[in-house]
Amino acid sequence: MAQLSLMVDLDRCIGCKTCIVACRNANGLTDHSALPGQMSNYLRVESVREGVFPELSLISRIIPCQHCKNAQCIKACDSEAISKDPGTGIVRIDPDKCSGSKACIEACPYDVIQFDELNGHAHKCDLCSRKIAMGEKPVCVETCMTNALSFGEKELLKQEALDAGKEIVKKMSAQSVLYVKNSR
Amino acid sequence: MTRNGWIPTACYQCKAECAIMARVENGVLKEIRGNPKGRGKACVKGMAGVSLQYNPDRLTHPLKRVGKRGEGKFERIGWDEAMDIMAAKLTDLRDRGEAHKFTASFFPHSITDPKWRFLDAFGGFINTALPHCDSAKIVSFIKAMGGVPNHHIPPAYDTVPKGGVMIMAGRHAFGCLDDASVPRDILDARERGAKLVVIDPMFTADAAKADWWIPIRPSGDTALFLGMINHIVMNDLHDKKFVENWVREGDFDKLKAYIADKTPQAMSEICDVPSQDIVKLAEMCASAPSVGVDSFKGIMLGQAMDFGHAWTMFLAVTGNIDNPGGQPLPSLTPMSPVEPVPAGPDLGELGWHRTGPDRDMFDNYGFIMEPTWYEAQAIKDDGLKMLLVSESNPAMTEMGQEEWRKAVCLPGEGGEEYKLELMVSCEIMLSETSKYADLVLPDKSYFERWELLYMPWWYNFGQGVLLRQPVVEAAGECRHSNEVFIELGKRLTPEYFTFKDDQEFYDIQLAGLGLSVEKLQEMGGIWTTGTMGFRKYEQAGGFGTPSKKVHLYWEDLEAVDQAMPRPGLAAEYEVDVDDYPFILISYRTIFHQGTGKWTQNNPQLRDPVSGMYENPVLINAAKAEELGIANGDLITLRSRTGDVQVRAKLSERIRPDCLGLHHGFGSSIGRVAVTGDGVSDNVLIPDSGSTLEWQDLVGGEAHVSTRVSIV
Repeated sequence: MAQLSLMVDLDRCIGCKTCIVACRNANGLTDHSALPGQMSNYLRVESVREGVFPELSLISRIIPCQHCKNAQCIKACDSEAISKDPGTGIVRIDPDKCSGSKACIEACPYDVIQFDELNGHAHKCDLCSRKIAMGEKPVCVETCMTNALSFGEKELLKQEALDAGKEIVKKMSAQSVLYVKNSR
Repeated sequence: MTRNGWIPTACYQCKAECAIMARVENGVLKEIRGNPKGRGKACVKGMAGVSLQYNPDRLTHPLKRVGKRGEGKFERIGWDEAMDIMAAKLTDLRDRGEAHKFTASFFPHSITDPKWRFLDAFGGFINTALPHCDSAKIVSFIKAMGGVPNHHIPPAYDTVPKGGVMIMAGRHAFGCLDDASVPRDILDARERGAKLVVIDPMFTADAAKADWWIPIRPSGDTALFLGMINHIVMNDLHDKKFVENWVREGDFDKLKAYIADKTPQAMSEICDVPSQDIVKLAEMCASAPSVGVDSFKGIMLGQAMDFGHAWTMFLAVTGNIDNPGGQPLPSLTPMSPVEPVPAGPDLGELGWHRTGPDRDMFDNYGFIMEPTWYEAQAIKDDGLKMLLVSESNPAMTEMGQEEWRKAVCLPGEGGEEYKLELMVSCEIMLSETSKYADLVLPDKSYFERWELLYMPWWYNFGQGVLLRQPVVEAAGECRHSNEVFIELGKRLTPEYFTFKDDQEFYDIQLAGLGLSVEKLQEMGGIWTTGTMGFRKYEQAGGFGTPSKKVHLYWEDLEAVDQAMPRPGLAAEYEVDVDDYPFILISYRTIFHQGTGKWTQNNPQLRDPVSGMYENPVLINAAKAEELGIANGDLITLRSRTGDVQVRAKLSERIRPDCLGLHHGFGSSIGRVAVTGDGVSDNVLIPDSGSTLEWQDLVGGEAHVSTRVSIV
């Protein structure tokens, strides 16, 4: 099965959150009248700091839907609203089939599925399917301020990483999104 | 006007003013991108500009104060009445022979900003609506190298060669405030084999990507650089060719004599960087193909021009001026003047910032604008009678914000309600400052107005012109402050305002480039020369100084003991050390550019997921444990001027002798801005105008931090 995916270069992600806002704007999640904490988001940034002053390290990375190989959300959904596209590997939620049970939200180990209270259905990152169908990149990749993100077929992304002298951080990359860092 | 598609324009979520594309759908702004014809990037604030545009708190019609200043009570009025009030007050002031007691406070988007033109024609003053975060740098660079004001020109990161050194001194480049492409270019340079060194009391996002983080004592950077210069010069590691050809005769010998006792060991005592690290960094820089130093006022406060001086000396002795990877020299875009050119107020006669009793102290003042931070003192001294504030918020951004608030409310004499006879606020949303205004004028957002940007600052090196153009219709009755000033000009100084409107004003200037607003629109909103050029002083026959060489020794400052940079810490840090054992670091991040409502009242930038919600005080974890403070504890910070209650956040990111407070929080107005437990750092920082002995009067800088205790 082909797998379209994202690759996150941990040496370049600075945790600036530009992608989160750009994603909201592009996917109609922005509510200009919201209060902090009320808006949906398909991405989040997690930062892990290690060490004690003054010997410190900090790694920031984005966490979008991982488009899992054996997605827990698909298994949890009783209404068969979630499927993994065999041509692209993208995991999608069909809003028309979604019953609004929120079972997928409970099941997702990455905590990335959002719920649309107004329309009563779950929704999440679909790798900007509308854009990639036109040959464009997902908006997070397009807007990444430091060029930390790449998009493409997963096996080709792996080759790109090798070419750049990067290694895949296996414990972060259990599903379809690749997290890479310098091999040195 | 209903537009569709991607339209090139200029961001104004911060002073970097990046070239962006705005996507408009049926007249509604939807998305932002970096402009590929510019440098191609926009940051999180830029993306969130969409939520600024449609903020429910947008002002849509002029307001007139009905209560006392500070109460924030207003009634709706029409533009005619607002303009009549301003014109009458300003005419009265001019008739009294006191036009110079009018100041407009704004960020000048270009050196011929129409507001500035009005001030020059009328005889008023400009201040920058900023605490002059790099005025000392500008003064230093002019003194050392002459030429065009270097209003924060960072190293050209896209030119740093393999092995080049990039030094950030108290600089958070990943937080932008330079072009949003800068973080990309720094990381690209690292991938090419350049080294990133971050000198900062806090472990920043930049430090996280650095090859070396040096957690220096705040304001120790002058000592650090002098220690490096000592090691380089005394060990004959300097760039002999550059020094011989381009340093003024005699200056290098004076430097050698002065620097002899500024050894790494001696400087280590001041800056708290181990002497072996000073030596290591000095040798790294002396042997590198290039060194670029990125900084504003250096690290925190006080003696910013001493740092600027040490910085320019360091660049000179290592030969890193206008070379790839070093310090670029900016140039001016050859725009046409708009005749007749008004002369401006007579500074020789009036002195800087209408002076008053402190005039003598500012005798050596060399910056091109008056400092914002002197506003409160100028009101007290009757030197400032009318103030118009545009897109800035001195009620929160002034060091000593409470003193500013008191000053604008001081009672007047002779029938005037207040000493400050007129206070006007031009804003897109009500701010803390608006609450003190007699008139609040609804401004156009940066998506609704025309503007021409060509200052030689930030990441543009003065090599081009960028057009800001309306992409959507203005809300309600909004008028851009430039339109307001052009109308004032037509009423009060008509001989200087014969052009029809802002677009014609820009057309006249663009004629110098063979362009017009329309042509600039057609060519994607940007014109550049396409190259910045290196070692331009060689073709120009030297530098812009009187000797055509770089000046290391500043004889005009002998009387104030600043002919050479003083290595000591900022004066304020040396006082009351036992009573106030911590140094407050007023830091910033990419999410908020200041106290302005455009980021603080923005639901996306205050969202905890996509921005920053609150500003707990960062305290070193080991130090907190020693003091019995736990994460989330409510603690009181006390300074010489005030107390704030704030949550503690234990962190490894900060020196044990410092506390970190993000600048810009603590709003009292704005639907989103008032949520959360934010506090304002400027409650703690003493008023600058009444503590002149602690300010950098030559360089124009005021302190942005102070000593505090935990009570």
